[in-house]
Amino acid sequence: MNRKFTDKLATATFTFFAMMIVVILTALLGYVLYMGVQQVSWDFLTSKSSTFRAGGGIQDQVFNSFYILLWTMVFTVPVGLAGGIYMAEYARDNKLTAMIRICIETLASMPSIVLGLFGLLVFVNAFDMGFSVLAGALTLTIFNLPIMIRTCENAMRSVPIQQKEAGMALGYTRWRTITTILLPSAFPSILTGIILSAGLVFGEAAALLYSAGMTSPNLDYGNWNPFSETSPLNIMRPAETLSVHIWKVNSEGIMPDIREIADGGAAVLVTAILIFNIGARMIGTWIHRKFTSK
Amino acid sequence: MVTVTLPEIRKAQPLPETKETALDIQELDIYYGDYHALQNVNLPIKKNAINALIGPSGCGKSTILRSINRMNDDVPGFRAEGTIQYDDVNLLHEEIDTVALRKEIGMVFQNPNPFPKSIAKNIMQPLKEHGLYSKQNLSKKVEENLKQVGLWEEVWDRLHMSAYSLSGGQKQRLCIARTLSIHPEVILLDEPASALDPIAMAKIEDLLLTLKESYTVLLVTHNLQQAARIADYTAFFYQGELVEYADTKQFFSNPKEKRSADYISGRFG
Repeated sequence: MNRKFTDKLATATFTFFAMMIVVILTALLGYVLYMGVQQVSWDFLTSKSSTFRAGGGIQDQVFNSFYILLWTMVFTVPVGLAGGIYMAEYARDNKLTAMIRICIETLASMPSIVLGLFGLLVFVNAFDMGFSVLAGALTLTIFNLPIMIRTCENAMRSVPIQQKEAGMALGYTRWRTITTILLPSAFPSILTGIILSAGLVFGEAAALLYSAGMTSPNLDYGNWNPFSETSPLNIMRPAETLSVHIWKVNSEGIMPDIREIADGGAAVLVTAILIFNIGARMIGTWIHRKFTSK
Repeated sequence: MVTVTLPEIRKAQPLPETKETALDIQELDIYYGDYHALQNVNLPIKKNAINALIGPSGCGKSTILRSINRMNDDVPGFRAEGTIQYDDVNLLHEEIDTVALRKEIGMVFQNPNPFPKSIAKNIMQPLKEHGLYSKQNLSKKVEENLKQVGLWEEVWDRLHMSAYSLSGGQKQRLCIARTLSIHPEVILLDEPASALDPIAMAKIEDLLLTLKESYTVLLVTHNLQQAARIADYTAFFYQGELVEYADTKQFFSNPKEKRSADYISGRFG
């Protein structure tokens, strides 16, 4: 009787805490969406932000968020993949590897504002990039790299050893075993990892304050010349992202509709991240099913 | 007075010299760090025959297989001394090209491990890897290899379905077909039927009997009956030592060593 009671109590406790987490998260998400959705309109999404007057939009900020994300991924994915493959397949179990691992762990737990200041000192000042898309993307690359390396390493390691042995025993070189056997099997988890970390990068603000900057030039979406100051494609221009915009409007905005803009922006941001996360799951499952087609 | 005692294994050696030796294992010692996994093993693997390695778990029989095709090279602390003579090369030599070696000496594992691809691609991929690209030749080879393992009749109409849709026994035969596709001389099998049901096991055994006509088969097995049924020669390992190596009939009917007799009759292991 006593043991049964303990068991029931444990079940109840765990259920309670699980429910509590769910309730808190839903409440938060619901609040952000409820407050925000009322502010979001086509006009809000497609008009420029305004500094003094009410009714500004978030068009440039949304574009900047995606554009910096794109560049971050262009830098992170190849390096992260190479690092992950190295850690999983080539690194010997020695002191150097242990040190690399500690570095990765430390980097992963680094506060993003510190990375932002590093970006300011190194990319913005030392390399003279100024507040720019490039400086922002490079800073976010450092922010994202540890996660990406770990994701890729785990994905490579999770491929059953039997698969690797099959390749080796058939006279595949190590390189061909990696590219033709391990990578295809690891691909769904790598892709899921990439999309999930894209969500993190998309929402990051602190690392960007002093690297991509808090302003945006008057972007002209008809200007495709990547060297022109007003071209959205220019990577040397400052680029305020959506999350930085929300922070800035809240902390130093002087327009009358601060609350509306912040609410609307937050809703758009949260929705985008939700789409990333749900999409990651769906694509991951879909590819996995396609690859193993049972 | 000084008495010199030869190691027991030496005494156990005199063998029917009926078949040519494909792989000659001489004075092989294997270490994992400080652990002496195999001790002074001398074992001639006979050509075009089924050579069975038996013994209780941890006796070193799988270690031998993995040393022959150098799959143990990556194991930390692994060290091999002695020679494994194949044609006129020592397979343990540092400068052996393991890729070329594994093309000559194929391996089949305990758990069937087809690639998560279609049945046809499982055979095509290794062929492409070794330089065969023409579509026509590839399809011809797929048919040929699947027929070789008796799988063609069962799967000819669904070659493009995932290999994972096959049963365990079919998967294992596909893996054998995949190994055969790149034309090895020697096939190492590490308990290939131990994860299978009796009917699938019987099919694998029949297959091995046909394979020995053209290949040298080295079979590690836990299953004494299996060794007795299909092996031409049987080597019994115990605690890293080759206790006895003999013609299978002789080994099972009239073992020379007491430990062999005890193992066969189930007194230990």
